[in-house]
Amino acid sequence: MYSAKGFLPKLLIGIVLAYLGVLIFLPIAAIVQGAFSKGIDALLEAFSDPTLWQAFVLSIELAIAAVIVNAIFGTIVAWVLVRQNFFGKGFFNALIDLPFVVSPVITGYMIILLFGRQGWLAPFVNAANVKIAFDVPGMLLVTVFVSLPFVVREVMPVLREIGTEPEQAAHTLGASGWRTFWRVTLPGIRWGLLYGISLTLARALGEFGGVLVAGGAVSGKTETATLFIYRAIEERQNIAAYGVALILAVISFVVLIGMEVLRKRTDLEVGS
Amino acid sequence: MSIVLQDLVKHFGANSVVDHVSLEIHDGELLVLLGPSGSGKSTILRIIAGLIPADSGRVWLHGRDVTDLPPQQRNTGFVFQNYSLFRHMTVADNIEFGLAARKVPKAQRAAKREELLALVGLGGLGGRYPRQLSGGQQQRVAVARALAFEPSVLLLDEPFGALDVKIRGQLRAALKDIQRKVKITTILVTHDQDEAFELADRIGVINRGKLLEVGPPAALYRSPQHEFVATFLGGANLLAGAVEGGRVNLGAMQLSDAVSYTTVDPEGRLEVLFRPEDLMLATSADELTIPVLGQGVVEEVLFLGTLQRLRLRLQPLPGTWRLPAEFGETGVPIQVTRIPRSDGHLDFQVGQQVWVGINNFHILPRIPIRVLVGTDESANLDTLLNYTVLLARATSGPVSFVAVADDTADAEGLVTHARETLEPQLSGVNFQARVGRFVDEVLGQVNEGGYDLLVVGEPRKPTSRSEGTLRELIRRTRFPTLVVKDEPSAIRRILFCTAGGEPGKRDIIFGGRIARRAGAATTLLYVDPTPGAAARPEPPWIASHLEEGALTLLNQGIQAEVKRRQGVVVEEILKEMREGEYDLLVVGKHLEGRTTRVGTDLTLALLQRSTCPILVVTGELSRFG
Repeated sequence: MYSAKGFLPKLLIGIVLAYLGVLIFLPIAAIVQGAFSKGIDALLEAFSDPTLWQAFVLSIELAIAAVIVNAIFGTIVAWVLVRQNFFGKGFFNALIDLPFVVSPVITGYMIILLFGRQGWLAPFVNAANVKIAFDVPGMLLVTVFVSLPFVVREVMPVLREIGTEPEQAAHTLGASGWRTFWRVTLPGIRWGLLYGISLTLARALGEFGGVLVAGGAVSGKTETATLFIYRAIEERQNIAAYGVALILAVISFVVLIGMEVLRKRTDLEVGS
Repeated sequence: MSIVLQDLVKHFGANSVVDHVSLEIHDGELLVLLGPSGSGKSTILRIIAGLIPADSGRVWLHGRDVTDLPPQQRNTGFVFQNYSLFRHMTVADNIEFGLAARKVPKAQRAAKREELLALVGLGGLGGRYPRQLSGGQQQRVAVARALAFEPSVLLLDEPFGALDVKIRGQLRAALKDIQRKVKITTILVTHDQDEAFELADRIGVINRGKLLEVGPPAALYRSPQHEFVATFLGGANLLAGAVEGGRVNLGAMQLSDAVSYTTVDPEGRLEVLFRPEDLMLATSADELTIPVLGQGVVEEVLFLGTLQRLRLRLQPLPGTWRLPAEFGETGVPIQVTRIPRSDGHLDFQVGQQVWVGINNFHILPRIPIRVLVGTDESANLDTLLNYTVLLARATSGPVSFVAVADDTADAEGLVTHARETLEPQLSGVNFQARVGRFVDEVLGQVNEGGYDLLVVGEPRKPTSRSEGTLRELIRRTRFPTLVVKDEPSAIRRILFCTAGGEPGKRDIIFGGRIARRAGAATTLLYVDPTPGAAARPEPPWIASHLEEGALTLLNQGIQAEVKRRQGVVVEEILKEMREGEYDLLVVGKHLEGRTTRVGTDLTLALLQRSTCPILVVTGELSRFG
């Protein structure tokens, strides 16, 4: 890194800062201003709406569930893709990125197609007496899907970089497969895994279109924080909308700081 | 016996990475597996540790057959080249890992850990993380970790390769010390010959998957049995010689009086090894009180502290040549090391005429098959190169490659292509590009260079010109020539086609050398060309020729059988080839001027119609006119 000398690099830095400023800081400032625009009492009154908290709880539940599912399966998928060879591996590897290219709205719609009353899997759903489409389970499936790639994509390069030798070393030292995984592999990938988890969390919290289609946005039942904000804007409840946006922004900020710390830890360990 | 390896085989794809390796390692011994990169030594080590399964063969550790056991149950300590320490654990936790896996209680673990830290010279550093240690320190931790749970065997895979020279020296001494103290049976893999000499109780030399020789360093250095071992373990001067009447001849020069040397080679050929320090230089022949090798000129003088290393070129010695032969060499290059003043001379100058005397020599009983691969632009180069790799692994002898084209650029291009394919798979291949006529250049090389076998490829698209070239080559060659066809698979079954006494005895022996090295089974086929229905008794000398041939092969440990057919020779040979699934066809070359029913184009007809490679040997006329 060399320090910028001369006019042109300084101009470039200036442009970048201005760009980031407009794109990021301005909206955040606007949210804060908007939330407090009618005074703190109005804000607190908006927070007394029970559906607001129900929406938050649902968002957090979905996010945590998505994190758990994707952390476990994401790690397994990453391990298989890096360590094993099988026919069609390249194809499956590409499939992992599918959630990036498919619109979440389509994902939500697919849930309806599969699990709705006239869906393909309707007989199984009815037999199991579970409601998936237009209910929380469907929203969970959407949330898991859209946040699927993060853990996989963060863990894969770390697994590759570590290589098989530490695991082989553990085997020669007498460690079983399980012990090797817990004591050697998992700690080896922990920073990459945590970084992937924080990305998963952020994505899950921010999901909108998919959970809207799959859930139906019934307030108090299938309405997430993001969906609440949308409804609040439509119903001209601006303070409430700003308030929830502010809380989400704060959570995002905390996750962001966490991600930055984790990223530095990953680099530090990898660089040893 | 502490460790026994029995006939280990491992293939990666079509390559034999470990080729029938058997070895016994004694209790408490430090054995070094020495060989160039890609020779398979690391693979052998990992098979012993259980990290890679062998395709066949067995491994015993302390009397236990561990071949089917996973690494966890083998009780071996393994040290990797890249240390492979657990980065997220402290040094102490790393060392204790093996003990923790065995549920050893904490206090005992800690005690053992301290003991090991002291042993490897890292006392007090238990609390550090690997990233806080230097490379040398990390490797010490790796050794401590491998020894902590008191394994029965210690395995090290090029452990010092990633370290600076100075650290390497320190760690070598430390390792030797530790190994002596702990008295653990140890196998260390390296490509560094100095390291092998310094550490080993015995050295096992490996090349191209084969274990060539095992022995104490001094024995392998002074009396190697294999050409590769001789040249790998230090400077070597090898000259081709022959034994005759109990004496060793180097061309016109006789090395010794009436001492009995026996060789496996029925022609009595052998190799004579002079180490650079076994030769003495003088300014005139009279000064030498020892046998004189010859006269030459000093080409280079290197100052190496107490030693001087000189490169000389002797005048050509009749009847002998340097091994391995180099292209376009005149005279005989010789390496000499000397200590200035010890022979009365302070220094020799470049360009000075000197006389060389022999103080000591050693006979190598075996001569490997030296292969020359020749190609021009018309041949299917990839098929040829793939077969070369296959053949080289079977013969474990030196390989030289020559590309001939109409201009330098094309020839260089062929060489580059060959280099790309061959260098990753074979070490020590000699490459040359030549301009001129293919047949002239290639045959010239074979004549000059003392090659045993010429390998050429089939033209990709047979044109009349390329066919003509092949015809001319076959017609003119006086050496065994192998024409590669189609895709090579392996060399497992060899068919010798005799039609009237050919191939002759020499050629069966030659083919037998390939068969023995490749582990192939052989069949001697005789085709009776007379189409008559009457079963004419075959001439008695054919029967004895076949039986002798089979016996020669069997005596060399090669599976051999005899088959007889009757009919049109070419058709019968082709039928036998198809039915018997042979990989290589050996035919005698039909010399021009012979008048038999068979005709002079038998060889060429087979060349055209055969689907597997053909080795054309020059037939002895033996009992025919």
